[in-house]
Amino acid sequence: MGREVSESCIDNLLMEMVSTYCNRFYANKPELAARRIEAIGYQVGHQLSERYTMERPRFTDHLEAIKFICKDFWSELFKKQIDNLKTNHRGTFVLQDNHFRWLTRMSIDQSPENGASGEPSIIADDKAVESMHLYFPCGIIRGALSNLGIPCAVSADISNLPACSFVVRIKA
Amino acid sequence: MIVCVAVVGHQNNPLYIQSFTDADDALKLHHIVHCSLDVVDERVNNPKKSGPTLNDTFLGLLYPTENYKVYGYLTNTKVKFILVTTDLDVRDADVRNEVPCCIC
Repeated sequence: MGREVSESCIDNLLMEMVSTYCNRFYANKPELAARRIEAIGYQVGHQLSERYTMERPRFTDHLEAIKFICKDFWSELFKKQIDNLKTNHRGTFVLQDNHFRWLTRMSIDQSPENGASGEPSIIADDKAVESMHLYFPCGIIRGALSNLGIPCAVSADISNLPACSFVVRIKA
Repeated sequence: MIVCVAVVGHQNNPLYIQSFTDADDALKLHHIVHCSLDVVDERVNNPKKSGPTLNDTFLGLLYPTENYKVYGYLTNTKVKFILVTTDLDVRDADVRNEVPCCIC
């Protein structure tokens, strides 16, 4: 039915997308670039959720939909499931992936000639670049959930690579 | 014989309507589809009446009119597929198998 491409193509496409939006289209406006990338992810998540929920019975509540995202949806996208799901039972879910596929090829540039290894500006820049790459999967999750009738806000947290947490806050 | 197929989005906006009969019947079929949307909403919002078929995507016979039978199918993303048929002998199970083929 569909054509298949190699995984390195997807990796390259994502890297190029982030770098184009950050460095060429919205060179001095990182918030706009982030918003645009997240919107692309929203579209993709919207359409993917339609495709992947085709054969299934309907969901009874929010938790079922989140579990679908953690298991089936994530397996289709990344060939593995979410490793840890936490909730406060009041509309916030934390999805933790201990080895997020799209970040595994990313290195942190630790050049020693920049004086002390703990220079905050260098570390902040690296974090900014990595967080740019995470807007796309955040958008995918948001798009998938809103197509299932759950409006929400998704943010990512990368305190320890390559593990990555997505925080989903359902809008009441 | 299937006389009309309709795909309706999650805000009850029509995405695709196709009738397979003469032109003067088309408006009547559109009205039937429109009425059946209410039945879909009723089935979804009334768990007591739906009973064991609460999570089923296939909603079954929505309502019979004078010449037609209307079947409904609801996806997870709240997209509704409405099928209007004149075949009086058709059974639920047959329609149930046909709908997933139409989606693909």
